[in-house]
Amino acid sequence: MTLIMVVDDDQDLAEMLGIVLNGSGFEVDLVNSGDQVMPLFSAHEPELVLLDVMLPGMSGIEVCKEIRKVSMVPIVMLSAKGDSHDVVLGLEAGADDYMVKPFNPSELVARIKVRLRRSGGDSHTSLKIGDIVIDQVAHTIIRHGKTIQLTRLEFDLLVALAKEPGRVFSRDALLSEVWGYQQAADTRLVNVHVQRLRAKIEEDADNPTVIVTVRGVGYKAGTGYE
Amino acid sequence: MKAFWGIRHRSIIFRVIAVTVFFSVLLITIVGSVLYLQISSEILREKLNESVSETRSLVDYAQGEVDATIYLPSLKIDKVVDKILKSGDLTLAASPREVALIGTPRTTGTRSANDRFNGASGGVNIQSIPLTLRKQVVKSGDIKWIRSWISYRDGTRVPAIIIGSSIEIPQGLPYELYYIFLLKEQNIIISFIGRLLLLSGILLVLLIGAISWSVLRRALSPIRDAAEIAEQLTAGDLGRRMRVVGHDEMTRLAISFNEMAVSMQQQISRLENLSRLQQRFVSDVSHELRTPLTTIRMASEVISDNKEKMDPAVARSVELLQSQIARFEVLLTDLLEVSRFDARASILEVKETDIKNLVNSCIDQAHVTDNQEIVVNFPPESVMANVDPRRIERILRNLIANAIDHGEGKAIHITIKQGQTEVAVSVRDYGVGFTSRESLHLFDRFWRADPSRSRLRGGTGLGLSISLDDANLHQGLLKAWGSPGRGANFVLTVPKTPGISIEREPIPIDPPDELSTIPIDPEED
Repeated sequence: MTLIMVVDDDQDLAEMLGIVLNGSGFEVDLVNSGDQVMPLFSAHEPELVLLDVMLPGMSGIEVCKEIRKVSMVPIVMLSAKGDSHDVVLGLEAGADDYMVKPFNPSELVARIKVRLRRSGGDSHTSLKIGDIVIDQVAHTIIRHGKTIQLTRLEFDLLVALAKEPGRVFSRDALLSEVWGYQQAADTRLVNVHVQRLRAKIEEDADNPTVIVTVRGVGYKAGTGYE
Repeated sequence: MKAFWGIRHRSIIFRVIAVTVFFSVLLITIVGSVLYLQISSEILREKLNESVSETRSLVDYAQGEVDATIYLPSLKIDKVVDKILKSGDLTLAASPREVALIGTPRTTGTRSANDRFNGASGGVNIQSIPLTLRKQVVKSGDIKWIRSWISYRDGTRVPAIIIGSSIEIPQGLPYELYYIFLLKEQNIIISFIGRLLLLSGILLVLLIGAISWSVLRRALSPIRDAAEIAEQLTAGDLGRRMRVVGHDEMTRLAISFNEMAVSMQQQISRLENLSRLQQRFVSDVSHELRTPLTTIRMASEVISDNKEKMDPAVARSVELLQSQIARFEVLLTDLLEVSRFDARASILEVKETDIKNLVNSCIDQAHVTDNQEIVVNFPPESVMANVDPRRIERILRNLIANAIDHGEGKAIHITIKQGQTEVAVSVRDYGVGFTSRESLHLFDRFWRADPSRSRLRGGTGLGLSISLDDANLHQGLLKAWGSPGRGANFVLTVPKTPGISIEREPIPIDPPDELSTIPIDPEED
């Protein structure tokens, strides 16, 4: 069974989340403070982490960063404030998605399932984007001979762009194809993830050549050359 | 010229100086003129007295000389007359004097004119001796004088005192002897004095002007300071204070001004603190309430999933539980929104938005009852505006929901119109409408025209209040028109760019298919 780690300082909420997730067929680890996360994470290796932003001790943002240092596991942040800076900070720290409390539990489960879905391996064994080689089977990318670690979402985003080199993807299109949102969702998700990707794979993140912005429309795969 | 009048109105100093200078000029002119007249008349009087007494002796002497010819036959009258006339040449340049001898014209008889001995010194034209003086001299027989002009034969005219007396030339001929005292010297002095007075006067006026200006500037500098510091306070620099110097009235101004600034600063600081506390409260409450609410919601979902296994009463209870939780959530969100507006903690997140898309999306999401149709009237061209789409959407959803609730199943008309700098959306229903009494409360918080209607779909009573706040945040307008039984028309007008004020409203508040009625403007509170 798939293991999900739930990190929230409110014990009742955490327990409730556990009940809901169990009911959907997941195994759950409940953690109440930021400090307890890493030891348990290393020990149990969950396949997804639900992380509350407001935590005592180490904040949710810091926990996210700590996890990202060692793993590309999908992270979904839970926040009481949907509009605030916290969300962007969380996404920049490495979260793949966020949900605002109070949320619809079935929606939460649906999103979790989307995040856990393995991107179906196409038989293109290697894709190229710019000067980066994408290995879809191994889920790694190689640039100048060096392997770069990406989260699943970052990987999926890159693959989506690389598969259709001429196409300009709107943010809504990316939210639909990569995140699985059918209806209008927060475009900040796309913006921040592109930023994170660029930080990892571009020569010069301020003058991107791999993921190119098309003003007013969205993003497309670049050639890697100016 | 306009600039001049502008200064006149804008500067106390200018006005005071102008008045001071004006009156100084007046005064100095009067005093100066008086001085001038006094001095010049005194000078002339001196000269006159001198000349008169000199003339007396001269006339006596002349008469004596003439008389002597009677007794001394060797003395020829011609020569004596000549000598008398030539005496004009011998005078000092300091007091030049001409002499003239004119025969008094006979009034009767046909004898030849009495002008044998007529003559004058220096080329004086004896005809230029004023007739008035001559008449007087002839009549009185005493010394008479006049201050007038005398002409020379070459045409020059000079001012002079002409003093004359009748003289008898032997052989019974009446003549008039005139001594002409030229006033050249006096005039030089007088005009010199005049120029001196004028120069002094001008200098004095300028000096007065300069001194007044300087003194006034100094005296008014505290006022200028006060104005400058007030501007800085207004600009937000609340720490500025006036300098307190001395013990006079200006000092009091400075002290009071500073006290006012301190009080203002404290007040603003207090209000800022309150606002900060309020915002903190809002965010704390937000977090605190949401977490248990999430748990409640999840719990009710889990229970609800097992509804079939429960007995009907329990199952129904769970349904009610869920709907109330949903309602609670909406109320919570609305309350927090309202609280943010009050604390002025609302942020406008402006994006370029396609208004037509926005409206269509709201219509799609609206829960339209059967048979109720929504008729749209959009312009063919694109309608774009820089607004906060979340808020505009919220306003529209509210207006549409209200229209559905109160529309009594009749069609709802939604219109978009745009102007150069603004966009307007109107939502018109043909249902219940509202009375003018109700119109006063339309945008009040928690007020419902008919509570039973909107509670059915979970309305909180805050919808229009939040909509109005959202509209105001954009510096836009939200107006309502209503007529009982004829429906209602709500019009939202927003500028296409935040900050630009609305010039005209693309959609008038009175619906085009109604006679004009008095519109309600919720801003007029």
